[in-house]
Amino acid sequence: MAKLPTPQELIATRPPFPKAHWLDVKPEFAPGCFCYPAKKETMELLHMPNPHEWDPAADDWGLPENWEQVLCDAFAERLEKHRSLKLFMDICVRCGACADKCHFFLGTNDPKNMPVLRAELLRSLYRRDHTMLGKILGKAVGARSWDKSVVKELFYYAYQCTECRRCSLFCPYGIDTAEITMIVRELLHEVGLGTHWIMDPVKNCSFTGNHLGIQPHSFVEIVEMLADDCETVTGIRPKTPFNKKNAEILFITPSGDVFADPGIYTFMGYLLLFHELDLDYTLSTYASEGGNFGSFTSFNMAKKLNAKMYAEAERLNVKWILGGECGHMWRVINQYMDTYNGPAPANMIPPVSPVTGTPFANAASTKMVHIAEFTADLIYHNKLKLDPGRNDHIITTFHDSCNPSRGMGLLDEPRYVLKAVCNNFVEMPENTIREQTFCCGAGSGLNTEEIMELRMRAGMPRGNALRHVQQQFGVNHMACICAIDRATLPPLANYWAPGVTVSGLHELVANALVMTGEQKRTMDLRQEDLPGVDEDEADGREGGE
Amino acid sequence: MNLLEYFRNDKEDILRLWTGAVYAASPFETKGLLRTVTDPFGNPGADMIREAAGALYDAVAGEETTAADVKSAMERFVKLRAVQQGTPSQALGVFYLLKPVMRERLLPHCSTPDDVNDYLTAESRLDSLALLAFDMYMAARETLAESRVKEIRNQHAQITRWARAFRGGSFIAG
Repeated sequence: MAKLPTPQELIATRPPFPKAHWLDVKPEFAPGCFCYPAKKETMELLHMPNPHEWDPAADDWGLPENWEQVLCDAFAERLEKHRSLKLFMDICVRCGACADKCHFFLGTNDPKNMPVLRAELLRSLYRRDHTMLGKILGKAVGARSWDKSVVKELFYYAYQCTECRRCSLFCPYGIDTAEITMIVRELLHEVGLGTHWIMDPVKNCSFTGNHLGIQPHSFVEIVEMLADDCETVTGIRPKTPFNKKNAEILFITPSGDVFADPGIYTFMGYLLLFHELDLDYTLSTYASEGGNFGSFTSFNMAKKLNAKMYAEAERLNVKWILGGECGHMWRVINQYMDTYNGPAPANMIPPVSPVTGTPFANAASTKMVHIAEFTADLIYHNKLKLDPGRNDHIITTFHDSCNPSRGMGLLDEPRYVLKAVCNNFVEMPENTIREQTFCCGAGSGLNTEEIMELRMRAGMPRGNALRHVQQQFGVNHMACICAIDRATLPPLANYWAPGVTVSGLHELVANALVMTGEQKRTMDLRQEDLPGVDEDEADGREGGE
Repeated sequence: MNLLEYFRNDKEDILRLWTGAVYAASPFETKGLLRTVTDPFGNPGADMIREAAGALYDAVAGEETTAADVKSAMERFVKLRAVQQGTPSQALGVFYLLKPVMRERLLPHCSTPDDVNDYLTAESRLDSLALLAFDMYMAARETLAESRVKEIRNQHAQITRWARAFRGGSFIAG
């Protein structure tokens, strides 16, 4: 008789009762679960320690001979440097409040994706070398020794955390698991382990200023192309000022808005808005990237890549910086920039809107204002002529990007803008928005296509909430204020809620913006026909509010 | 009582046992959350299982339903299984975990050849539903593959466009 596995045998991922202690169950490096490794030459160019070729699926990762010493020393050094890390290692009582708050855990069902256990991977190593009980009692108190499988495990789970900080919102002690992940990634880089998707942009940023390594002249030409597209839609070719000395404002945005669909439409939105305001601003070919993949690498790398913002503000002698829609860029600015590269250059002053006169007191120190705040202030003071009816074909919801929402409390400004430019706005369920927002599943350098499956399961809680409002309220659009979101949410929406489109906030602003001297709008910024609008109707709507 | 009535009477019990078997395929530390947290957005995975289980059971039992309705109820669950780590048989084998539960709870009630025939028809409906789920699983995997290609294209969309314009000699920097 044929001996075949039963369905129970087929589906069991592991026995109902674990044979091994959870800490001893090792991950399987299957394709789709890990990012491709950084190239040796990339790491060499960046002077990263121990650059080498390696393959995450291989048994031997080619670690340097003294890898354990390197890691122990690096860990001890960071414990000394960051008091927060030492606290996070010591004070967790493993209450489990964070356990089911992580989108990776909810999507993968892997217990080591519970933030408490992900941190425990490092904490167990901490106990052995840095606590009295761990030194004496060892495994009995959850301490363990370094070995190569532990290094692999750290890599596996440090790149299954998007540093979104949803878990820290629920932690009664305020332990920031994202910072633990950052430290683990730093440690891994000490033995030459990094990912291509992060280190390649870091290299490009280091040499040419933006993630794709686009040279200044090409960068300008691509922006000019987008200005041409603006003219096709509106009849107005917006100004594209570059490297203009003594401009009042330097505008910095992630380069994904210049190179990648659908971010480009958000960028076109900026150009049109600034043109309509006749803003005295400049773009920069040097600070041509707001994003900072250094923040996914190490604190030092983040500091280095962030430095160009103030350097360019000083060189161009601007008064303040306006920042575009980005996620981690704002986390770096809001939480780290002052410490990294502050104080701001002497030529900069606390930002004041040149249109409304509103001082942005919250940006008095960094001298950098988020464009959602800037535009919300314009709308509040009735400085923009808007026709939200042009967006009537969409019923939109808003995805709070993790970093602006949890990292800087930017919750109401984007909603205020969105409601002013769209007549149909629906919130997703309460425990999936604002401070409790679910990550897109691909932040912190995980938005690479080789882990598309991982992204879809990690983004499931967000996709699920989106699907809910799609089915309940007919939502067909999701706005967001993060360039990584604009790249990662379209496939996520297409998977979990097909039919929902994704855009940045300022794409919708520009669609609704009634510009002085514009032609009849018959299409949106994507050059798609506005439903139900022929030329005559557009005539009638001109000037509508 | 006919078989459908037994199906109706035992629905809660059988679904509890089946979903329990599905949860049991998850690691021990995860099972508790799946089983106990009922918030559809706080524990979406379990909500997906519950939605799929109810519709699947009614269809297997022979209640009035359509393939479209059952597919719609199973969609989220199958899509989740399609992206979770594991083989395709692990992803979809969970549907067949209903069979041993049904055999334990319902088959003993089947005392006549007609009853047994009805029971076998119900099991065949489960087989058909598993095939429907397989279609959905494959569609989900196709979507993933398309997303990869589309994303690679989108990342460099403007550069490709710029390069084309440049090569064709039609591009004039503004």
